[in-house]
Amino acid sequence: MALGMLSRVLRRLLSRQRTDIRAQGACPSSPHGILSKRLRENEALIRGAFGESCDLIIREVRFGISPGIAVLVVHIDGLVDTALVSEAVIKPIGVTSGLLELERLSSAQVQDRLKDRLILLSDVKQVSGKADLLNCIAGGKCAIIVDGSSEAFVCDVRGFEKRGIEEPQSEVVIRGPREGFSEVLRINTTLLRRRIRDPRLWIQEFTVGRVSRTQVAIAYIKGIANDKVVQEARDRIARIDVDSIQESGELEEYLEDAPFSPFPTILRTERPDRVTGALFEGRIAILTDGTPFALIAPVTFLMFLTSPEDYYERFFIASAVRLLRYASSFIALLLPALYVAVTTFHQEMLPTPLVLAIAAQREGVPFPAVFEALLMEVAFEILREAAVRLPKIYGPAISIVGVLILGEAAVRAGLVSSAMIIVVALTAIASFVTPIFSLSIAVRLLRFPMILLAGTLGLFGVVFGFSVVGIHLSSLRSFGVPFLEPIAPVVLSDLKDALIRLPWWAMDTRPQFTGGQNLRRQSRGLMPRPPKPQADGTRSTNGKKGSR
Amino acid sequence: MTVLEGGKISARQFMAVLIVLRTVPVTLVFSLISNVNHVQDVWIAVIIGAAITIPFVILVTKLSLRFPGKTIIEYSQILLGPVIGRLLSLIILWCFLCTSIDITRGLGEAYVIAIMPETPIFAFMIMLAIMSCYAARSGLEVICRLGEDVFYVLVFVLLLTYVLPYNAMRFENLRPILTWGVSNLVPPTVANLGYYSQFLIIGMLVPYLSKPEDSTKYAIYAVLISGALMALAAVALVAVFGPTANSWTLPLFSLSRMISLGEFFERIEAAVMAAWTLSTGIKLALLLWAVSLGIAQLFNLKAFEHLVYPLGAVIVSLSLSFFESMVELEDFLAKASAMASILVVGVTLLLLYAALGVRTVIYRRKGGSG
Repeated sequence: MALGMLSRVLRRLLSRQRTDIRAQGACPSSPHGILSKRLRENEALIRGAFGESCDLIIREVRFGISPGIAVLVVHIDGLVDTALVSEAVIKPIGVTSGLLELERLSSAQVQDRLKDRLILLSDVKQVSGKADLLNCIAGGKCAIIVDGSSEAFVCDVRGFEKRGIEEPQSEVVIRGPREGFSEVLRINTTLLRRRIRDPRLWIQEFTVGRVSRTQVAIAYIKGIANDKVVQEARDRIARIDVDSIQESGELEEYLEDAPFSPFPTILRTERPDRVTGALFEGRIAILTDGTPFALIAPVTFLMFLTSPEDYYERFFIASAVRLLRYASSFIALLLPALYVAVTTFHQEMLPTPLVLAIAAQREGVPFPAVFEALLMEVAFEILREAAVRLPKIYGPAISIVGVLILGEAAVRAGLVSSAMIIVVALTAIASFVTPIFSLSIAVRLLRFPMILLAGTLGLFGVVFGFSVVGIHLSSLRSFGVPFLEPIAPVVLSDLKDALIRLPWWAMDTRPQFTGGQNLRRQSRGLMPRPPKPQADGTRSTNGKKGSR
Repeated sequence: MTVLEGGKISARQFMAVLIVLRTVPVTLVFSLISNVNHVQDVWIAVIIGAAITIPFVILVTKLSLRFPGKTIIEYSQILLGPVIGRLLSLIILWCFLCTSIDITRGLGEAYVIAIMPETPIFAFMIMLAIMSCYAARSGLEVICRLGEDVFYVLVFVLLLTYVLPYNAMRFENLRPILTWGVSNLVPPTVANLGYYSQFLIIGMLVPYLSKPEDSTKYAIYAVLISGALMALAAVALVAVFGPTANSWTLPLFSLSRMISLGEFFERIEAAVMAAWTLSTGIKLALLLWAVSLGIAQLFNLKAFEHLVYPLGAVIVSLSLSFFESMVELEDFLAKASAMASILVVGVTLLLLYAALGVRTVIYRRKGGSG
């Protein structure tokens, strides 16, 4: 009841806030109306809109023989390929038009000539709205405005400095492609197109952010992805009304199903092979301009614990590595808590020599085990955060301080037991095994309440914490797909690619929930077999029969 | 009318939660054994209990299938009218509530007795209630999804517990069979039926099955599998502990302490305790869900979720005040509670089927005249 009232009040506050933003016009609005026929007015409009920006370039060229018709070429310096502008736009207008056109033309005729013959570019569009024109210029297009016409051309001559395709930093594989997404949306969609050479790969673009005008693209395979999920994603993107989106992580918070969960219900990846693999399972990808991290939805919990390499390595090895990974995430979540519970409450569960050894180590330790564990875990988290932020040249220094001073000296001084150091170190290493970072930080966070529960209620506390996490996980959904599928609910046909991975030729079907409308992904009976013996006793190899 | 619970569960999940529902007390107190003087024939009583339960679950599921989409709370009002129907529903819900109270206290007692004697008992009970309320609030789908997984874990751990103390097993303990006569089987059979009467919850679950017509088959499977698990427990306990099996407070927990393989695979009682805590959580969540949904349906409330946490508080406080000790709890479960719940189930089915018969007769007459 109280919760319901609280949420009602919150909702009312939030909705009021939203209307306030709209009413105040916190997001600056663009000018309305269409362009003028007078060139000078249009020029003034552009200059006024961009204000003191130093990178705006307005070049006036004259069309035809003198005096000719004035034409403005407008673009932002740095966003366009300047050589291309001069070669494909300015030269035809200024030089070629002078050679071809002898009589006077009206501005409409000039426009037709320009569009049909002279502008040597593939992507040319006509715009007439003031806002459209300004947005195109700001988006890196080149605008061509003819005197006496209320319509302008915008052509795509975008060319700017960008990072090339590099190996993804956060998801490293030994076997598999080394390409990672880059910050430019077009490069990323190209990477997808190059892997799925079929018109059924549909990529739809949206503009999100009133001011930042970030390009966001939904990619999916038509006929495999569930249309309802695609529509849901479109709707969720369409309702985002913000002034800017900088990274897909921001987008994720507006799109996800469980905004108050520590667990991510949308997967982020910078690997194109991971994205295309997900597309073939009927999932959709959301690419954002300006970040190499693509979003995949709907996802299941186990996808966060798989690496693309699982699908490239032999299935025995991949399955064993998967089991190892699951064990590691249990260690990362529970090991310090179990250690605290057992040493504090249930010493009888350990073999006697081990109990004695731990007791001897803990002899001089001034803190209870739960405080010791929290202390060391926090110390380790500080070290890890420092290792990410610090300039690379300080790396060796911090590792000496961290390892020698904090670890070795703390044990020598009797502040912590060395058993605890071992536990913390193992936990830390185990948490690095998780292939997707966003899950591993969720596990890191949940470790602390687990330790506290273990310190207060022993094993019962650990079981309690684990159950609550389990209940929470199984109540989550990602775009309508149960998050713990295929473990809870158990979906037998999807267990083929869950705890272990079956060989590729045995994985005939897509996952039930995401690929249900186009279930079969390959023909049956693809298991390689030795060729059947021929009637004459010889074995044919690939249909090439030995000549006699 | 608003839909109170929109979840759909599969027949397998239905079976799994029923087995968890029935099997949880086994891992706690095998009161079938502590109830009788002569333990070696208890496994026969368990089988008899399961056999008697099968027709009962068939009756319950068939009745539910007559009223698709309606729980036993709803159709008892249709059949018996608003007054008697509501009264009967209240009694059924009270039975569910009593079971929740028993298992909550049982969990607390077991933890205090076996693992952490110095911790106050309400600490365990409150935590259990919080956990189960959280699951119950999340709805039937979540309970059943987890219930299925917990079921696999529970079966695995139970089988380990039955099989691994093979060094200590003496199957001669089971012989001779039926020396004390058939009358000795009556008290354990009654206690067993008392536990099986919790299967009345089928009346709450059937409308939420994605294929309700499978419910009869899977309910019978549930009776058979849980019967087998219990009978095996009885056999294993008697084989290991002999005639003293009825003097152990937590027999299966003690059994798991006997496991020792090659001096390294031992101390699995932590796993037993964990599996049992998880299953108790699921069972309590299911009962809480059933009671709060039942109350919401009884009084035409718009949502049942808000009832869950208050009910949890009620259960904890009642379970603290109902019983003095573990001995009293066991005695209550095996005698008074068992008799009462058998009576409730019998009266419920009798009344509902009688009303159904009367309705059918009236309907036919009307159909004949008109």
